Amino acid sequence: MQVGEREPAPAPRNRWRPLALAGVCVTAIALVAAGSLRGENILNIQFHTFQDSRGVTVLEPIVDLDKDFTERSGLKVKFGVDAITAASDSCARCHPDGANSQRTFVNVDYRRKIGDYKLDVGGQISRENFYAADTAMVSISRDLNKGNTTIAGGYSFSLNQPQLHPTQSVENQYAHDLFFSVTQTLTKNTILQLAYDYNRVSGYQSSPFLRTRVNDIMVVGNTPDLRSRQAVVVRLRQALPGDTYLQADYRRYFDTWSLASNTFSLGVEHYFKPSLLVGFTYRWYGQTGADFYQPSYTGNPIYYTGDFRLQPFNSATYTGHVVYTPAHRLLDLLPDKTAIDLQYDRYQASTQFASSMFTLGLRIPL
Amino acid sequence: MTRTGRMVLLTLAALAVAMWTAGCATVQPWERARLANPCMVFDYNGGQADFASHWQSAREGSSGGFGVQGGGCGCK
Amino acid sequence: MQTLSRVFTATGLAAVALLFGLTASPAALDVRGAVAGQQAPALRLPTAEGTYLSLADQKGNVVLVDFWASWCTPCRHAFPAIDQLFVDFRSRGFRVIAVNLDEKRQDAVDFLVARPHGIDVVFDPRGDSARAYGLTGMPSSYLIGRDGTIRYAHAGYTDKVLDAYRLEIERLLSEPAGGEHMR
Repeated sequence: MQVGEREPAPAPRNRWRPLALAGVCVTAIALVAAGSLRGENILNIQFHTFQDSRGVTVLEPIVDLDKDFTERSGLKVKFGVDAITAASDSCARCHPDGANSQRTFVNVDYRRKIGDYKLDVGGQISRENFYAADTAMVSISRDLNKGNTTIAGGYSFSLNQPQLHPTQSVENQYAHDLFFSVTQTLTKNTILQLAYDYNRVSGYQSSPFLRTRVNDIMVVGNTPDLRSRQAVVVRLRQALPGDTYLQADYRRYFDTWSLASNTFSLGVEHYFKPSLLVGFTYRWYGQTGADFYQPSYTGNPIYYTGDFRLQPFNSATYTGHVVYTPAHRLLDLLPDKTAIDLQYDRYQASTQFASSMFTLGLRIPL
Repeated sequence: MTRTGRMVLLTLAALAVAMWTAGCATVQPWERARLANPCMVFDYNGGQADFASHWQSAREGSSGGFGVQGGGCGCK
Repeated sequence: MQTLSRVFTATGLAAVALLFGLTASPAALDVRGAVAGQQAPALRLPTAEGTYLSLADQKGNVVLVDFWASWCTPCRHAFPAIDQLFVDFRSRGFRVIAVNLDEKRQDAVDFLVARPHGIDVVFDPRGDSARAYGLTGMPSSYLIGRDGTIRYAHAGYTDKVLDAYRLEIERLLSEPAGGEHMR
């Protein structure tokens, strides 16, 4: 088993989970109880479903509560669960009857206006079978020119800890991310955003579940310990006549594993009535493979991988969504201005992989 | 030109454009009727944007460009 | 490759610093709108009925000039609150001129028809009055004393702003009409 010469660390303990859940509940109750509903308060409930051609099904409910404390500060708490049938071929190999997994995450974000600047500080904790991820992030933005220009920058640090199932040893992976963007209003109908993202990942980056063939033997991959990734993004939002809006995004990505990609998406949204918004988006994605990627290997390769994300391929995503904001209280229960959104995504890759996703969301102003 | 050289040029060009457009015609606060619409806000539905970023990073080799990154996942 | 990544990061950070530095210069800062102490710029705008309302006609009263639009969410929250202020203080000489800045009159009409109100609403779709007052945000409001000078200016609307209005209106109403600033 070619997993490198690192010292194994003890497996992460799962005692945090009930504590974190309790913490989230207490925070949520405190938020709602903290004074009146002055300021903007929004409760979002989303239910995502995902199914792909590898036999994986995921159901993901997410709840988040966004509360303004004052006109200068606010807090957002988000809690979600991915219920994953990990019955993909990587798991079915040893678990032919299927194997389920679950990922739970909590995300907290505090925002504050300090003079002309807006500061955001947050963190996320995520746990699933054989993987733990902890992230801290900070970002700052400033509006200029009567709100026509916004400059933003951010930094995040993640500690990701994959467990080398079926062993008990745990590896570490460190990711630093630096982000910078400029958003400019060009006309009464046009906004343009330019962004740059630099990400540096060090540590264990193979997958203990994905195997490749080296000299006819199936082995877990061995990838370099360092990956520097960069992306440049251009985004446009254009208001068109007749209550229609156009969205176009382009991303150019490249990294030190020689993987480069282009992502282009184009979307149109239209209000059939003020309360009914319908939109379609098309996204095209194409990537080269990592320089050490091969479908199978012979000889004595230093690096080798069975990770399907590192192969050359392209894909298309077709998305349709509807947002309905009824004028009268929904079911006579939910507050005024509650919005329901439905979204369907269909993803098709040139590797014969395909997936479908469906989302139902409720946005409830409190 | 090498690929890195091209990227340097592209990034500098993007920054130059950004600085130039910062001097563009100013839209007055009372002229922002369409700009105030949620369709003009980047990632208005943050939850949907996060979900897309999540399944894309589980399927594709690229990431980032749309905000500060969160942690990974052990997606198989 | 590591060195080049560092070069990129350094360039990126330098660009951030440069942009912040450049744009923080006085030349790039917002031009100040009409401020407290100034004589309030003249207003003469049509109502829905076609008659004209003028700020000059209100001399001797305390006037709240509120610039709003139907597409602006805080403006929508402010509207009923300002209407209530009018109900509470009108007998003591308080008036409101709500200047609507919607480019499409129908959007404003749809909003107003759904909200019975006592305050006077005037329409300025071209935004000339907004320009005269040098608005820097929406909504913007100006409390004008009995002498015709701007005494308090607010940009944005929150519950705190509403509390401030009450205090300020009380203070202004307690001042006598007339004095050296009379127009």
